[in-house]
Amino acid sequence: MSEIYRAQNLVQVYGTVTALSLASFSVKKGEVVALTGPNGSGKSTLLRLLAFLEKPSAGELLFFGQGDDPRREVTLLLQEPYLLKDTVFRNVTLGLALRGKTSNLKAAFETVMHAVGFEDAETMGKRFFHALSGGEKQRVALASRLIVQPTVLLLDEPTSSVDARSARAIECAVRGCIDSGTTVIYATHDLSLLKALGGREVRLGEV
Amino acid sequence: MEYFSQGFAKAWELLWHMDTATISAVKVTLSSTFVSLCIALLLGLPLGFLLGYCRFPGRRLLRLISDTLLAFPTVLIGLIVYAFITRRGPLGEFGLLFTVPGMVIGQAMLALPIITSWVAQSVENLDKRCRETLLTLGATKGQLVFLTIRELRYDVAMVCVTAFGRVVTEVGIATMLGGNIRYATRTMTTAIALETSQGEFGQGIALGFLLLLIAFLINALLVGIKRRVRA
Repeated sequence: MSEIYRAQNLVQVYGTVTALSLASFSVKKGEVVALTGPNGSGKSTLLRLLAFLEKPSAGELLFFGQGDDPRREVTLLLQEPYLLKDTVFRNVTLGLALRGKTSNLKAAFETVMHAVGFEDAETMGKRFFHALSGGEKQRVALASRLIVQPTVLLLDEPTSSVDARSARAIECAVRGCIDSGTTVIYATHDLSLLKALGGREVRLGEV
Repeated sequence: MEYFSQGFAKAWELLWHMDTATISAVKVTLSSTFVSLCIALLLGLPLGFLLGYCRFPGRRLLRLISDTLLAFPTVLIGLIVYAFITRRGPLGEFGLLFTVPGMVIGQAMLALPIITSWVAQSVENLDKRCRETLLTLGATKGQLVFLTIRELRYDVAMVCVTAFGRVVTEVGIATMLGGNIRYATRTMTTAIALETSQGEFGQGIALGFLLLLIAFLINALLVGIKRRVRA
């Protein structure tokens, strides 16, 4: 398996606070990695660095051996996802629209909505962002990431603030993603998610 | 009290018969406000976005200047523009004084800081997760700017309504730069001031009633937009 990420002496500092200090970290293609550790151990910071939303204060982070920004191959689901002030359909298909892939949007939308546990995709697609529950928002946000078929899917505590039904649907959708060969790196405190998704555990804050 | 009732009766008569002077003042007011707002929006939207989104030396000073200009007295704007477009001024050769385009320049100056400051504030207040979400979904820099402005569309609409309300009700600029010329540059507010000073309460009340109606419609629009934003 080829190596997707390689990080050396990665440090991220905000003001006077060192949010992350990691001697070495690497992830192979198709691998599943669970980031665990206490609050403030740097899980979210590492995910933001891996998503190239921030540049590290020090150290080196390579993606497929290069330091270029591969943003369209990597996508991150935030712990508290943000949905645009629009319909569910527009939110979910935005990633494809940004890539100019506007044909068969409806079919892709229905497939991905079924994957995250929405049976009536058509009705759901017409709903507005503000009419969704927390669990529905999280699943819609996940669908918007899955539809672009990323090389790497990053998840920041995806089940931490959702109901049990939504949590199971998210686990199931991510499991399907893993089975199709996508590299998944997720941060979690949730033992049931850890059990459901598995993967190599990297415990932060104790390195 | 009798002149009140006479004034209302005259107002009703003028509006019912579509009095040409009244209609002209309404047309001049709405057209000059609309054009000046378009100009201010064209300049203020990118400027506000720049001030709210980008970090560069002098940004805070520019924000401070823009915020200070929110309290710019309209007669002072009128005076400054007057100095530029009067025959002896640098733009005197264009003959803009006492014309609608001359008024439009002043009104655009009045609306510009309102739009710039409010847009900058809206951009600053926008949830930072919006930017991160767009980036993680693969937005390019251009797409990021476009979608951020699109995300602020209800805020921009509210800014427009506020600026419209400010411009449509001002008197100083319209008087100094328009000259209050009947059928040419007379606006609703300048007409009210003039007719009332001449004892013509009827026309004053008729125009005042129309101005109130416009203000009501604008505020109704604002309430609708606010509801949408809060949702």
